[in-house]
Amino acid sequence: MSNPAEKRPLPLKALAISIVLIWIIIAAFPFLWTMWGSFKVEGDFFSRSDWMNAVTGPLTQEKHGSTFTMEGYEGAWIEREFYRAVINTAIVTVSVVAVSLTLGTLGGYALARSGYKYSFWLLMMALVFRAMPGVTLISGYMLPFFELNIWGYLPTAIIVLVAMNQPFTLWMLHSFFKSIPRDLDEAALVDGCSRFQAFRLAIIPVMWPGVITTGLFSFLTAYNDFAVTSMLLSEQNLTMIPQINSFLGSSQEEGKVMYAVAAVVSSIVPLFVFIMIFQRRLVSGLTAGAVKG
Amino acid sequence: MARLQLKNVNKRWGSFVGVDNFDLDIADQEFLVLLGPSGCGKTTTMRMIAGLEEVSEGEIWLGDRMVNNLEPKDRDISMVFQSYGLYPNLTVYENIRFPLRVRLVPKEQHDEMVMRAARMVELEDFLDRRPAELSGGQRQRVALGRAIVRKPTVFLMDEPLSNLDAKLRVSTRAQIKNLQSKLKTTTVYVTHDQIEAMTLADRVVVMNKGRIQQVGTPTEIYDTPANVFVASFIGSPAMNLVQGRLEKGVFQGQGIRVIGLRADKSGNVTLGFRAEDAEIVKTDGNISAPIYSIELLGEASMVTWRLGGALVSVRANKGFRAEIEDVVQADIPADACHLFDTETGERL
Repeated sequence: MSNPAEKRPLPLKALAISIVLIWIIIAAFPFLWTMWGSFKVEGDFFSRSDWMNAVTGPLTQEKHGSTFTMEGYEGAWIEREFYRAVINTAIVTVSVVAVSLTLGTLGGYALARSGYKYSFWLLMMALVFRAMPGVTLISGYMLPFFELNIWGYLPTAIIVLVAMNQPFTLWMLHSFFKSIPRDLDEAALVDGCSRFQAFRLAIIPVMWPGVITTGLFSFLTAYNDFAVTSMLLSEQNLTMIPQINSFLGSSQEEGKVMYAVAAVVSSIVPLFVFIMIFQRRLVSGLTAGAVKG
Repeated sequence: MARLQLKNVNKRWGSFVGVDNFDLDIADQEFLVLLGPSGCGKTTTMRMIAGLEEVSEGEIWLGDRMVNNLEPKDRDISMVFQSYGLYPNLTVYENIRFPLRVRLVPKEQHDEMVMRAARMVELEDFLDRRPAELSGGQRQRVALGRAIVRKPTVFLMDEPLSNLDAKLRVSTRAQIKNLQSKLKTTTVYVTHDQIEAMTLADRVVVMNKGRIQQVGTPTEIYDTPANVFVASFIGSPAMNLVQGRLEKGVFQGQGIRVIGLRADKSGNVTLGFRAEDAEIVKTDGNISAPIYSIELLGEASMVTWRLGGALVSVRANKGFRAEIEDVVQADIPADACHLFDTETGERL
């Protein structure tokens, strides 16, 4: 018991633990509630008579003979072919991350090493476009995309997502590159590398934590996007998030709310897994002295 | 192995002149030291030789090739950086091997070449470590090892010792000297430390404000400084410089009078002499004035006067004692005196 932190009085400890517990419950509750409810019928999950019905599920029991039902999942995955949206999301996120990182590392490196003043103004411009809400730019895309007959396709959405995400990746990678001493490039150049070899063999190996961190943020941007994908993709090319929205229905069409709830849970679970895998690299990437010579 | 020529090389950034008309022929196998205060253009000159900085005007020749427009990788040089520039993700072994890998030296020769270089810089026991696990001196030796692993035409060293502590500096300095004489490779070494320059160099180039002030062997630079700047920069302590008038071979300044100097020049001059060339005397001294301070150095005592605006020091033997404000005399042999034009600073 040498650690002073462990010598705190018991009430204080209890208070600290209970604050953390309350915070965890508040943060996790919506997800847990949704996950539990996704196995119920709509009448239970959105019960008008008693909110406890969402927990106990009497209507679900009555309809399916069990308090749990896969009805929502079957409807979303089989009837409405939610797997298509999953595939589309995979294509979009992988492409956006790959293109963003390729352009971002090359551009960020160039801007970090450029001695010219325009690199500062380029970065400022990038910041301005980053500050704009993405949805404000979409109306400008619609007409040209219709005219060019490229509206509705995945590559179109990928291009727009990359364009909107690029200022952020540029900024982030630019500052990572800045933290790598110039001597490292120059040592590589003198040792016999071309500019690109110096970048690839000397700089990028030191940059991995930065690349992964930036890649993760790009992934989340693409994965969670609603504004761009819902406006620019046709019905059969929708990614998961706009697809969930379409389950909720519109004024002309009755929605399948439980399909949406099941789809929400289906789309959140991979995110959890993803964060779990990368949390260690993420934290070490952001804290360790990765570039210490 | 090659000689290195710089023909009227200039470097400008806008209107700022970094290096002004640098013209020098460096012989094969020579150890050349560029010496000067910070901002004098010595590092810029070296970076132009390496190809890391563009030449604004003039030509750089390596052997029989004009290298102005060649990439650093095509110049066949190796360089040691002040901050080492090691690859933090690679082990010592891989760091030293890196130039061989990118220059596509056949793989089966790598091990032998790396081990030879590692032996020369005494790093055999650290080959599996990463740079972060090494001390400053060891890191600098890795950088040296990486430079000597192949046989480049020229070694460039940019203040390689300035990040080391004093003791390590002395031993690494000796190691560099020894390596260079074994490898017989033309070397250009940048430093602001005149002791490094004196101990290492075949020839020293003293630079100030982008210009070459003097080129010569360490002895020449020390014994016959070309101008007031070189005189005041070289030597520890720096040369004493007193302003006064020269008339018919007699120098007269405030509190100082030296006879027997050259009679063919007259006018306002600056007289220079080194502290160890003068001696304390009882009578008939060239200097006769109350002293400003006395410092005990252990092996000697340093007696200082204030003559006009200048502080003038003379080395006395270690038993000499005096109080501040005591009148003390010193004898300055005429042949140990240097005369400089006060206007231009040039040697007369």
